[in-house]
Amino acid sequence: MKRYGDHRIPGRLFIVEGIDGSGKSTQLMLLHQWLKAEGYGVVFSEWNSSPLVKDTTKRGKKKQLLTPATFSLIHATDFADRTERNIIPLLKAGAVVLCDRYIYTAFARDVSRGMDPEWIRELYGFAVRPTIAFYFRVPLEVAMKRISDGRSGFKFYEAGMDLGLSDDPDESFRLFQGRILEEYEKMVPEFGLTVIDATQPIETQQKQMRQLVLMKLTQARQLRVAP
Amino acid sequence: MKETYGVSLPGLSSDDLVGKLIVIEGTDGVGRSTQIRLLKEWLEQQGRAVLDTGLSRSGLVGKSIKRAKEGHTLGRITLSLFYATDFADRLENEIVPALRAGFVVLTDRYIYSLMARAMVRGLDPTWVRNIHRFALKPDAVFYLRIGVDELIPRAVFARGFDYWESGMDLYSTEDMYDSFRKYQSALLDQFDQLAEEFHFNVVDARPDPREIFEGLREGILRVLVEPDTAQQDMGPAHAIVVPMSEPAAVRMIDASVREDDLSEK
Repeated sequence: MKRYGDHRIPGRLFIVEGIDGSGKSTQLMLLHQWLKAEGYGVVFSEWNSSPLVKDTTKRGKKKQLLTPATFSLIHATDFADRTERNIIPLLKAGAVVLCDRYIYTAFARDVSRGMDPEWIRELYGFAVRPTIAFYFRVPLEVAMKRISDGRSGFKFYEAGMDLGLSDDPDESFRLFQGRILEEYEKMVPEFGLTVIDATQPIETQQKQMRQLVLMKLTQARQLRVAP
Repeated sequence: MKETYGVSLPGLSSDDLVGKLIVIEGTDGVGRSTQIRLLKEWLEQQGRAVLDTGLSRSGLVGKSIKRAKEGHTLGRITLSLFYATDFADRLENEIVPALRAGFVVLTDRYIYSLMARAMVRGLDPTWVRNIHRFALKPDAVFYLRIGVDELIPRAVFARGFDYWESGMDLYSTEDMYDSFRKYQSALLDQFDQLAEEFHFNVVDARPDPREIFEGLREGILRVLVEPDTAQQDMGPAHAIVVPMSEPAAVRMIDASVREDDLSEK
């Protein structure tokens, strides 16, 4: 069993992290388009998408069966399945793998739910260390404004309603995101996350991202496949 | 009162758990479920409320595990975490509430089986121990021990070879018999190590079920008459360590404890 940081694989793993409304998914989508156009073999893997596990997670959430412990473990199970069956084999094959959310999402959320920080880090000890982990830093109020413009009606766990922070889903969501933000900030030095100022224009952020990614790709020209 | 192996779960206090947590461990086909059936009946006759539980019976993921295993596509880390999720769900929703209500909880396997399986599959022992650190330390673990030669007729003649019990995910090029032998021997080695580390009460599983039952009954009586089990290090307080090389007689029998002691309580 290889540990975080021990994997020696030819592929490249780029992941994005940040609170809801940080714009990370948009940035990853733009990066994906560019890499495809450049002719790289790119694969995208989403948080919580294992075919073996996701239905269980969905049911658990819908019926509110999940506690902080089972919430944490079921997401780790999902991530393990994607790691064992997709991420590692693809990286071994030399692909560029993009992940929207990674283990740091689990650390931020689960610790906010009261799980032991050391325990959860060890739990995900099998994860591949990303080539670059981008963290889209944004003040809570900016993110909240972006979200409330776009949508409303938060789901139970999404709003952290299981924590009993507030009876009002909007208020609960804000408080929960605030806690998650604090956890992210702690992880920036801990895991060497690459911080992108997510209050900048979208194009500016994307330019920074591509520059950093390109530096990691020129070290591995063989990754390029015929367009 | 009870405590965990070092990690406490949010919202889960363990200091008001007045019931007793008794684990029956052992490999596939060794006769655990027969013993649990007998023990439950006996305890209920003594006026003790009993909850029996076992692996992959959780409402949350029990069915998903069974479905996922049918496809034979589960990776070893995924499998371990699936079982850990199942265990956490049962711990929080069955075991802890029952212990709080003063039940005797009889569990068919516990984290030790999960750890043994994971380690046989090559997972890092430190990682494996850590993920189960939220488990409650049981009041006693009874390990039904058997050698692989005695196990084969019992496990196999009755119901045939099972893919996972034969470790076919590990040794897929072997035939089922060779694979079963290899896998179960590796599991038994792991159990022997865990037995020392976690101070199992080792029970010779070779005699007939009635005889094993008598032994277990004596052992459990001792646990039940104790007002409380002050835990020491990683294992149950009443552990009796039997040399691993000789899985002979049931050692926890103590004639001074009678069933009367139970009713006096």
